[in-house]
Order: sequence, then C-alpha cells, then structure tokens
Amino acid sequence: MDFDLPTEHQMIQEEVRRFCDEEIEPIAQDIEDEHRFPQEIFDQLADLDVMGVPIDEEYGGLGGDTLMYAVVAEELGRVSGSVALSYVAHTSLGTKPLDLFGTPKQKEEWLEPLASGEGMGAWALTEPGSGSDASDMDTMAVKDGDEYVLNGTKQFITNANVANSVLVKAVTDPGAGYDGISTFIVDPENDDGFEVSTVWDKMGLNASPTCEIQLDDVRVPEDRLLGEEGEGWKQTMKTLDGGRISIAAISTGLAQGAYEAAKTYSKEREQFGKPISKFDAIRDKIVHMERQVERARLLTHKSAWQYDQGESVTKSSSLAKLDASEAARKVAEEAVQVLGGYGYTEDFSPQRFMRDAKLMEIGEGTSEIQHLVIGRELGL
Amino acid sequence: MKVLVTVKEVAAVEDEFEIDGTAIDEAYLEYDLNEWDDYAIEEGVQISESEDDVEVVSVTIGPERSEETIRMALAKGADRAVRVWDDSLEDAEMLDVEAKTNLLAAVVEEEEPDLVLSGVQADDDGFGATGVSLADEVGFEWAAVVNDLELDVEGGVASVRRELEGGVEELTDVDLPAVLTIQTGINEPRYASLRGIRQAQRKEIKPMTLDDLGLSADVAESDLEIVDMYEPETESDATLFEGSPDETAGQLAEVLRDGGVGQ
Ligand SMILES: Cc1cc2nc3c(=O)[nH]c(=O)nc-3n(C[C@H](O)[C@H](O)[C@H](O)COP(=O)(O)OP(=O)(O)OC[C@H]3O[C@@H](n4cnc5c(N)ncnc54)[C@H](O)[C@@H]3O)c2cc1C
Repeated sequence: MDFDLPTEHQMIQEEVRRFCDEEIEPIAQDIEDEHRFPQEIFDQLADLDVMGVPIDEEYGGLGGDTLMYAVVAEELGRVSGSVALSYVAHTSLGTKPLDLFGTPKQKEEWLEPLASGEGMGAWALTEPGSGSDASDMDTMAVKDGDEYVLNGTKQFITNANVANSVLVKAVTDPGAGYDGISTFIVDPENDDGFEVSTVWDKMGLNASPTCEIQLDDVRVPEDRLLGEEGEGWKQTMKTLDGGRISIAAISTGLAQGAYEAAKTYSKEREQFGKPISKFDAIRDKIVHMERQVERARLLTHKSAWQYDQGESVTKSSSLAKLDASEAARKVAEEAVQVLGGYGYTEDFSPQRFMRDAKLMEIGEGTSEIQHLVIGRELGL
Repeated sequence: MKVLVTVKEVAAVEDEFEIDGTAIDEAYLEYDLNEWDDYAIEEGVQISESEDDVEVVSVTIGPERSEETIRMALAKGADRAVRVWDDSLEDAEMLDVEAKTNLLAAVVEEEEPDLVLSGVQADDDGFGATGVSLADEVGFEWAAVVNDLELDVEGGVASVRRELEGGVEELTDVDLPAVLTIQTGINEPRYASLRGIRQAQRKEIKPMTLDDLGLSADVAESDLEIVDMYEPETESDATLFEGSPDETAGQLAEVLRDGGVGQ
C-alpha cells in the first residue's frame, strides 16, 4: 500500500496548482460577479492538455488515469468551483461517454474536439419533471427513416450554451423502462430545433453556465446514436460512477481552498493581543477542517484508484461524494466564521467556497440519493 | 547545435524558521527550481523550437531529490538531462563557485555544447558568479545578465542585450561557444503541459559521479568557510492609517509634510 502520489501525478499537481494560483485565482471572484464563463481560461487549459486527462491518447486525450484526473479536478476546485464544475461536466459527462461507448467514426468527429479542448462537452439527463428519479424522463426520440426526431425539455445542463456537443438522454422505447433509454449526440450549433431557453442565476457557481434547453423536433442522423438503442441507462450508471469521483475531487478542492484561507487568516489576525489561531475555539476549528479535508481526499483517491484497477466503484464513489461534499460545505462555513466580518464580504474567498460547496450535495445525485445507493450496496 | 542549460534546485525558507549552527534547519526548507534557471530553460527551448537540429541538455549538481526539479526542465522541453552527484559531495558543507565551476567544466568537456545558458544567480546562496567563472575555466566567451538574445547559428554569433547598473543597457555580439547568464524577464517561462510532464518521465536523467567526470574528491574542498548565520535586526517603522480615504489621505499628507516632502 502506497499513499504517495506517483511522481508524474505530483508534478502535474504542482504545475496545475501554479497555473491555478497565477491565472485563475486572481479572477475567480470577478467571473462570479460578472456571471461570465471564462473561455480564455479553458483555452489555456486546452493548451496544457488538461481538457482530456482521462481520455484515450489516440483521440487527442492525455491517456491519464482517474487518479490523475481527480488530482487536477481538486486543484481547480481549490481556486474556482465554477471552472472546476464546467471542467468535470465537460470531462466526465460530456467527453468520457464518447470515449467509452463511441464508434471510431464518432470518436473522430465528436470526441477529438472535446479531448483536445477545442470545444466543451455537456450531458443532458435531468428534466423539469425528473431529477433524482432520472429514468422517469419525458424526452422522446422517435425513429423516422434514417433519422431520430428528439422532443423534450432538459433542465440544469452545465455548459449547454457553450458546448460543441450535448449528450442527450431520451426514451426510444416507452414500454421498456430502464431499457428504453438511449443517448444521442446533439450539435447545439448545427441541429435545428435546439434552443437554450434559460441560463440560471444561482446562489454560486455563476461562471459555470447552468441551462434549460428545449428540443423541438431536433432531427439527428442515426449515426448520432451513442452505443445501441436501449443502452442509455446502463451508460448513465457507468458515467455517474466516474462523475461522482470528480464531484468528490472538486469538493475536496473547495474544502482545501477554504481551509487554507482560514488557516492563513487565523495566523495573521490578532485580537486581544494575539493571533486568533491561539484561541482554542479557532484552533479547534482549523484542526477539524484539516481532519475533514484529509478524509475527503483519502476517500476520493481510494475510489479513483479502484476505478483505475477496473473494480466496481458504485459504493466507494458514492461514499466519497457524500463525505467530500459535506466536508466542503462545513469547512467553507467554518472558514467564513474564522474570518468574522471579513468572511462575510466578497473580498475574501470563504463565502464563495460556501456558496459553491452547496451544489456538490445536490448535483450528480443528492446526498439523500447517495444514502440510498450506499444503503443498497450494503444490502439494506 | 547543442545548448546546455545549467539548473539548480534552490531552498526556499518558510516565513518562520530556525537557524541550526551555520545553516537554516532543514525542517523549514522547501525546494524548488531556481527562478533565473526557469528563464534559461525557456530560452533554450525557444531556440530548439525556432532552429533546426538543436539539442537542449539540462545539467544539475544535486542529490537524488533534485531529479524532481530537473525533470521539470525536461517537461518544458529539454531533451535529456545530466545529474552530477557523489558521496563526497554529499559530505561537503558547501559547494562554492570554484567547486561548481570545476564540476560543470567537466560536464562541458563531456558534452561539448555550442551554447551554455545559466541563470544570473541562485536564489539561495546567491554567489552570482558560477556562469562567468565556468566560461573562464572552459575558455568560452561570455556575457552576463542577458535580457535579450538573438542567435545567428550559421555565423556562430549571439547578439545579446545586457542589463547594466542604473538602467543602462548594452548590446554585445558574443562569438560561440559561449556562456550566457540569463536574467529574469528575457522571456515568459511557459507552464509545463501535462503531456510534457508525462513524456518527461521517460526522458533520460544520466547520473554522473566524480569518477565518471575524471575528478577527484578534493574538487569539493573550499577556501571559504561559513562562520556565522543570523537574522539581521530589522527596523520596522510602519505607520498604519485607519479611517475613510479622506482621513487617511490627510494623515499621509501630514507625515509627508513632517518628513520634509513637498514643502
Ligand atoms: C448547478 C447545477 C448543475 C447541474 N448540471 C447538470 C448536468 O450537467 N446535467 C444533468 O443532467 N443534470 C445537471 N444538474 C441536475 C442535478 O443533477 C439535479 O438537480 C439533481 O439530480 C437533483 O434533482 P432535482 O433538482 O430534480 O431534485 P429532486 O429530485 O426533485 O429532489 C428534491 C429533494 O428530494 C429529495 N429526494 C428525491 N427523491 C428522494 C428519495 N427517493 N429519497 C429521499 N429523498 C429524495 C432530494 O434528495 C432533494 O433533497 C445540475 C444541477 C445544478 C443545480
């Protein structure tokens, strides 16, 4: 058993952290205030080969493992939840399924631009009427000659308004339940009938666009079907296994960022003649932060490692996501407290981590749903 | 053409530290690539990108730990690396300019580069002399504190701009082979790409001992002796103004007036 990251991973962590500190952190609050998707950051990340970390090298990816991907996602989360969320939605949800389930021709056309970072990926499962109960969807895909016709509304789709492609889940066989769902590659720019109807204003993560989309008689050729008809749900389960690891990694990063801000501040801020870190109440908060961050990271790395061994990660990724997202919220909230009045201002980062952390307990399966999954895995 | 870039792992000190004898306690040190060397690497890599058939070799003197640092040079585009170390160097209290000159001179004789790029100085021990001393030892031309470089490979000439004291700059043509000590700001060092980092794991870092270089253990002997290490007394005289911009501006004006500024 070796708890040290491999040298390659350590170097990647170090260099990505340097990039994050120098290029992203200085604008992290501005992009939130402006509700602006920072395209220039993603262009730079593409140049550094960050946009296709766990993707096949043959199609422009880096060919790295899930542990490497988790390390990168954590570093992004440490400075900007928005950049990190758009990054993992692109990678785990929009890109990885093309790598796992696409034909060579689909990979050339749709995977390559995403893996190289030329375009952003997105993934549309959730609907206004189906969130936690995601398979109960209304979006339909009806075969018409050598085309499919898609109709429906998708809700809360990250990156949809900046995406090169959106992987849309739709019902192809209404009587078949889980086995009646399929995945389609939709091109937001060139497919008629695709419309972004809303870009939501949110309590945080406002530099990561969250969109409602309308599919109104969108006609796609049959080679836009990803995998086979009826495989959409199985693909979803596999996709969410990796996705939960990435949300756990971002959460660890958010917690780490908040923890660092609180720790630094507590050593500098003096009240009653000494640094506030010398008061038991504050010291204990910082120690508790360290404990939660470390636990979140261990669970995340363990699950990533298991994924890389080809083992099932349904339980471990769920546990990691559940624990790390809760750690992020609690650590961020305590960080606000450690900074006192300054913590409540937008000049300091803890409030941003606190807003961003909350989503991690909701997206890609709420904490309640993670309990359900883990309970099922435990045979309860 | 071959470019040799010398790089050094430097110790950075944490905000709070303790001195142990004539050195800073190891526990308070972190190691990183010397800032100036980052610019030297970038310059070397840019040359290899703009000219045909350029090999960039990076060399360091340091223990196994320093492979991390030199690997970053490989990740940024150096083709291969040489790491000089030896038990007798491990035992030396300090490697002074003379020792480093002799070690690097042996590497230059082995590699026969056309151009050697070093940093102006090292962030930790700050001798600021190794590059020029090396040039003298191996009989190369040199230019120090270079902040712009145009290379005429055919003609074997490096046209450099050097930063002198008091904001004066000098343009010089230096015949190759030469040693240039590189100043920060000459370029914008890149971030290593992730693919570069992955490829760097497979690039060669050749270990070389004193034996390999035909040197004996006395190369590490030094005429210099560190006799003391201490923190100088700092005289901090900061005034903190508090209040609205109007009030603080007034307070500042008062201090300036009292100090004799802008009477
Ligand atoms: C910023 C953001 C980005 C997102 N990005 C994407 C994306 O890119 N693609 C995508 O497809 N979706 C995305 N989502 C959607 C997200 O995955 C869903 O919001 C989430 O799964 C919850 O669904 P819901 O909002 O419909 O809540 P609901 O399912 O309505 O849940 C409401 C509450 O009921 C609880 N609940 C529901 N069922 C149960 C149960 N059986 N037992 C106990 N409690 C239960 C929930 O835990 C929750 O507390 C995003 C959402 C947000 C906010």
